[in-house]
Amino acid sequence: MRLNKILNNTLLVFAACLVLSACATKKVSTGQMQGDVYTGTDTVEYLADGVADRVFFATNETVLTTASRETLRAQAAWMRKNSKINVVLEGHADERGTREYNLALGERRANAAKDYLMTYGISSDRISVLSYGKERPVDAGSNPLAWSKNRRSVTVKAN
Amino acid sequence: MNRSIIISSVLHLLLILVTAMSLPFLAKKPLDIPPIVSVELIQIAEKTNIPFAPKAKKIIEKVKEKEKKLVSEQAPPKKVKKTKTKTVVSVEQNEKVDNKTPEAVPLPEKTVKKIETKKENKQNPDKLDEEVKQVSEFEKKEFVDLDNIAKLIDKAKIESADEIKKNNDITQDQDRNIENTGLTLSEEDALKAQIFGCWSIPLGLPYNENLLVRIKLMLEPDGSVTKTEILDHARMNKPGQAFYKVLAESALRAVKLCQPLRVPTTGYERWKELQLNFDAREMLEG
Amino acid sequence: MKKKFIILFLILIFPLKVFALIEVDITRGNLNPLPLAVSPLAIDEQSRNEFKKIIKKENIGSEISSIVENNLKTSGLFNPLNKDAFLQAPEIANLKPRFEDWSLIKAQALITGKVTFIDEKLRVEFRLWDVLAAKEIMALAFTTVPNNWRRVGHIISDKVYERLTGEKGYFDTRIIYVAEEGPKTQRKKRLAIMDQDGANNKFLTLGNELVLTPRFNPTSQMVTYLSYFKNLPRVYLLDIETGTQEVVGDFPGMTFAPRFSPDGKKIIMSFAKDGKSDIYTMDLENRIVDRITNHPSIDTSPSYSPNGKFIAFNSDRSGYQQIYIMKSDGSDVKRISFGNGIYGTPVWSPRGDLIAFTKLHKGKFYIGVMRTDGKGERLLTENYYQEAPSWSPNGRVLIFYRETKTNSDGEGFSAKLWSIDLTGYNERLVTTLTDASDPSWSSLLSN
Repeated sequence: MRLNKILNNTLLVFAACLVLSACATKKVSTGQMQGDVYTGTDTVEYLADGVADRVFFATNETVLTTASRETLRAQAAWMRKNSKINVVLEGHADERGTREYNLALGERRANAAKDYLMTYGISSDRISVLSYGKERPVDAGSNPLAWSKNRRSVTVKAN
Repeated sequence: MNRSIIISSVLHLLLILVTAMSLPFLAKKPLDIPPIVSVELIQIAEKTNIPFAPKAKKIIEKVKEKEKKLVSEQAPPKKVKKTKTKTVVSVEQNEKVDNKTPEAVPLPEKTVKKIETKKENKQNPDKLDEEVKQVSEFEKKEFVDLDNIAKLIDKAKIESADEIKKNNDITQDQDRNIENTGLTLSEEDALKAQIFGCWSIPLGLPYNENLLVRIKLMLEPDGSVTKTEILDHARMNKPGQAFYKVLAESALRAVKLCQPLRVPTTGYERWKELQLNFDAREMLEG
Repeated sequence: MKKKFIILFLILIFPLKVFALIEVDITRGNLNPLPLAVSPLAIDEQSRNEFKKIIKKENIGSEISSIVENNLKTSGLFNPLNKDAFLQAPEIANLKPRFEDWSLIKAQALITGKVTFIDEKLRVEFRLWDVLAAKEIMALAFTTVPNNWRRVGHIISDKVYERLTGEKGYFDTRIIYVAEEGPKTQRKKRLAIMDQDGANNKFLTLGNELVLTPRFNPTSQMVTYLSYFKNLPRVYLLDIETGTQEVVGDFPGMTFAPRFSPDGKKIIMSFAKDGKSDIYTMDLENRIVDRITNHPSIDTSPSYSPNGKFIAFNSDRSGYQQIYIMKSDGSDVKRISFGNGIYGTPVWSPRGDLIAFTKLHKGKFYIGVMRTDGKGERLLTENYYQEAPSWSPNGRVLIFYRETKTNSDGEGFSAKLWSIDLTGYNERLVTTLTDASDPSWSSLLSN
């Protein structure tokens, strides 16, 4: 009986701690950014109804987020419907890095998007990749929000 | 009753432990270590002065000016006057430093106008009297440049550390100095401090080579130099050692510029022949 | 008995005491720039008028001495004194200076000279005097076409610099860079070249396509750079004298970050494909392409050691950008940067002893140097944003560029070239006509 009570109390204490720690380490999510990745729509253009033209990345990262994959799936579907259209994936980086490395980073981001499109059946003949590094920011600001808008891979119609 | 208390306190401790471990890990702020103030152990002679106190602490706050004068009791008037001229010019330089803004060109423009110098020369006699009265007074003058401050900080830390090292590594010569009392520590300080002002070390020297120039001097009782001899003469013209020639020339210029040297007032026989070992390594390694 | 021994002992050591040579160790001097006087070069009336016709300047003698004065001053190692204080006229000073006059104004060295117009050519003779030793320590004469007068000033500066510091000079050199204009989101960039003191600025491209990271060939008048001509980013070669451009190699993807090998015969660069970038070289004569790295990471910013045996480069194979060294055939890869932060843009010093780099740590950018084994890391300067150091040919000065923040209105952005001495002293702005970035220093022109 006493043991049960003790166990219950201990469990309560542990639960409380977990709640505390969980609260403490949860990342702040503003309206426009999740962690480091831009989630807004300010700079987004549309290839077609409901088909956003770009995906965003975290600092120094080339990994596709869940949201990015959704967007790319929509793009793949649109490209399957319009089988004559070819695209160029333009990869970009923010300004907080060295110029040459950013060129390579942009290429890697665009390539990550290309690989994903290919897994949805788009032929690589229809997709070319072009990196602009940090040369063509979409937002000229010097703050984390502006930088997050610039870390992107944009799908552009080639014909 | 007791048992519950014990179990309760144990559980409380456990809670504290778990909380402490699971709390968000605060980002460690970089430690703000104040610059090291080195302490030198020196022999106490008749008059002593800590030669080159670490710059770092002083420089960090603001530009400070301290005057260094070594006045010997029996200084012949001629000698003191010349020293004064130098100090006067330096004062002018320091004024310029005060007026400078940080955005100005890094190195101060030391424009010395002939007219100004002459005027100051005339003022000498007054200052002369003051000086003669001030016996065994030690104040330190440092030419500190606003813009060089930050750069000197790092250097200074290393310099101070090296200063101690240097004192330990000192060749037997220095020990010999102390034993034979060729020059007391204070007399040596005076000479070193004087040469510090005159020796413009060429910054272009390679800092990983042997940068030692030994010059033998023959001196008059008033401190003027009658003969200089570079001991490693052969090295001056060695191919690939062009920097050595440059270094030797800078040392010779320092000696010429600093005449008459601050020599002790007594015991001419001791120091009529002096050897200065110019080693630029410490200044350049920084 | 004991007393005798004591007396004997005293007698024995006494002579030692008397005849010992006192040695004083001087380990500190001042790092003040050497004060020297640059006298305007003497010139006769007839020559002055001839040159005025050709180069459109009032007095070529004082123009040339101004160049020398300016060069020595910007090096941070010299302090040229104000000419108003000079007592001797140029013509007399050149023949036999009165050293007392010059040491009165605290000059430790003096430069004098003479300019003449002879056989349609410019002849300049100059002398360097040690004022304290009261003797001449250098005397040289140059003859060249009048329009080359600026280079004469630079060559004289180099000679004086070398004689007084023991190091080769860096004044007879040029700097190639990217001239920038326009809004940050649509920057117009052109290749530009200028003398190291900012004179003779020329634009080499029109600005219709994006151009980046130009680098000099150490042995000839060629430049390699990245161009987005026809929206295809590729490495190109540009001949400065003829203006002809050609693409380097036939790569099926983006090539970038190009440099020349020290013998000028190869181009080393990165090639990006399928998300990874590797380092390749191409021989300019036989056009053979060699692959140097083969790794799933990004390998870029390659830089040869001056003896051509090693390559320093930037790779993120450890997770973040770090600096690595490998043999020129790609073997024996070693990481050399281990400090806190991200390292990029490694550049090997022409002296072979140091590697300069850009470092990013806690949101701040640093320009620094480290020894080739990675030890002895020294950070020279810190800023909101700066990168891409390039060495002067004597391995003493670094030129790099900085960008400023844009404020909340999106205004205030600028990019400028800066230089700093290896010791961390003498950080100064390099003036350019427009905003500028990606500077690269040529080798000495007078080789």
